[in-house]
Amino acid sequence: MKELALHILDIAQNSIRAEATLIEITIKEDITKDIFSIEIKDNGIGMDEETLKRVEDPFFTTRNTRKIGLGVSLLKTAALQCEGSFNILSKKRMGTILTVVFKHSHIDRAPLGSIEDTIVTLLMMEKEVDYIYNHHYNNNSFSFNTKEVKAILQGLPITDIKVIDWIKRHVADEIKDIVNS
Amino acid sequence: MLTVEQLKNELLLEVAAGQNNMSNIIKGVYIGDLLSWVMAHIKKEDVWITIQTNMNVIAVAALGEASCIIVAENAEIEEATLLKADEEGIPLLVSPLSAYEIAVKINKYLQI
Repeated sequence: MKELALHILDIAQNSIRAEATLIEITIKEDITKDIFSIEIKDNGIGMDEETLKRVEDPFFTTRNTRKIGLGVSLLKTAALQCEGSFNILSKKRMGTILTVVFKHSHIDRAPLGSIEDTIVTLLMMEKEVDYIYNHHYNNNSFSFNTKEVKAILQGLPITDIKVIDWIKRHVADEIKDIVNS
Repeated sequence: MLTVEQLKNELLLEVAAGQNNMSNIIKGVYIGDLLSWVMAHIKKEDVWITIQTNMNVIAVAALGEASCIIVAENAEIEEATLLKADEEGIPLLVSPLSAYEIAVKINKYLQI
């Protein structure tokens, strides 16, 4: 995939299918340590050890519609190509944490891309699910929580077009701020 | 001698950036999307066909002294990449065709 945001979308969709009600996405960019890491954590149904072992196999999928599921293995390949690492922790009924690390300066590391589109797409798919997005850039950080937005909206759906537009602009601006300041 | 300008006209390519260096000479073609691999294998004055469009593409083309980059299948190009292409003087062209189709067409105009 050409953007890491698309990988994140794909992985978070697995979390939705796993009946998660809260999905937390954390990006850490540390230029001195030359690290770009992504963590996706959910409180979904989790996986037993047997499933966990097979999740990186592209010919494994929980879907019935087709028998090939490439999402997880593509992300792992992308990370390993960039001298990074990949890890999944999961517990039945507890949830799943996927962590992927890239060498920040590696030539093959895709750009983050439009993470605001990923967040908004996820919201449109499943507005009952709450999302937390954290982004650290060196010592700066920014956090976005749909629970807080919903509390302010007082009944207006978070998928209202004006709200969606605001979320997109807000997230994109905040990321620009922490990267440039 | 085939130039980027001639190729643009023959293949009806859209020029997205780097229009000041359209007189670059074309000697060959290289296709690839894994930048580290391309960096190791592209030859001087190759046309490079790729679907990658992030800024690193311009760095790879500059290091490899590619004559130009053709972005296949109308892949969307980031603003930062366009600016960098202008800065480095790398013609950045766009085509709706696939990498294979572009390469086949270039072959007609390229006497190797």
